Amino acid sequence: MLVNSVIIILREVLEAALIISVLLAISQQLKVSRQWLFFALFIGLTGASVYAAHIEFVSMAMEGVGQEVVNASLHLLIYGFIVILVFSMKDRAYYRCMVLAMASCVAMATIREGSEIVIYVGGFISSPELFVSVSIGSIIGAGIGISIGVFFYYLITSMSLNHGLRFGLLLLILIAGGMILQATQLLIQADLIISQPPLWDSSSLISERSLIGQLLYALIGYESTPSLIQVFCYIASLFLMIFMIIKTLRYIKK
Amino acid sequence: MTKYVIRYYMPILLLVFSFSVFAVPIIEIEIRDHLFYPAEIEIPADTKVKLVIINNDRVAEEFESYELNREKVIPGGSKGIIFIGPLPAGEYPFFGEFFPKTAQGKVIVK
Repeated sequence: MLVNSVIIILREVLEAALIISVLLAISQQLKVSRQWLFFALFIGLTGASVYAAHIEFVSMAMEGVGQEVVNASLHLLIYGFIVILVFSMKDRAYYRCMVLAMASCVAMATIREGSEIVIYVGGFISSPELFVSVSIGSIIGAGIGISIGVFFYYLITSMSLNHGLRFGLLLLILIAGGMILQATQLLIQADLIISQPPLWDSSSLISERSLIGQLLYALIGYESTPSLIQVFCYIASLFLMIFMIIKTLRYIKK
Repeated sequence: MTKYVIRYYMPILLLVFSFSVFAVPIIEIEIRDHLFYPAEIEIPADTKVKLVIINNDRVAEEFESYELNREKVIPGGSKGIIFIGPLPAGEYPFFGEFFPKTAQGKVIVK
């Protein structure tokens, strides 16, 4: 039970921690006050608890695919806010918009990943003999996940302003692509996007079960058997992000 | 920019979001004491199937399969719907992520 809860919590925390650390590092590079983070985490954790408390209702909504629709919407919203963030980074005139976009990304990511943690850990409250080992496992898993986030934060902020910002934006492109990949995957599962045979199978190369597979999943949304629509949406979302970032970087230079 | 997006992306989106009108075969799987009943299900190849997963336990379970690319939380005392397929013939294991020691099963596509 202990090892299993370490893995489950690590997976959820890692995804949120990566987004938070990259955004926090970018905001540090741009000399934005960190206050937005506490606000975003508060909204996110509250939202996660509310979502978890109503998971039954959400699951049964929309003919049984409510969960997929809500989660896919969260992923799409995170992508949207990342695009807005990159756009508003170019000028100090959009300062408030930029901070709001960062806070929204973190709040959405916390709702998405936090709700699963609340559902998982909450299930064991009624069985005290398992609750202790699950709690210890969760704390270890969360600790590892947060450590990896902290590592990325210091990796970016230790670089020079120019390099750090570029590296942070590169990670942001990958995270944004991952969001689109997860959203399409959920909509296929809900039968709202047609399902197609996988375009390739790289599971023998990098298994989604492996540690590298899990890390790649958290960072770029790695999928070993994606379909044509998923690959198409992924590439399109990357192109839009790269286009926005090039525009922003050009503007900053001027 | 917005115009651009609407003009070029909307037709693609409309094409992609196709709602099926055909009846889809339904298969029920129950979860009891962190076990799947039945633990093995058989479905025809190249056919879309609707899985109805009924969780009779008090606690939540997460239906997960790397091979099927599926992942969904099924709250305790509730049920969830997951569409799978069309798939080529083969075996596709699935498991309950919250209780993986006992909750194991597979989809056999023939």
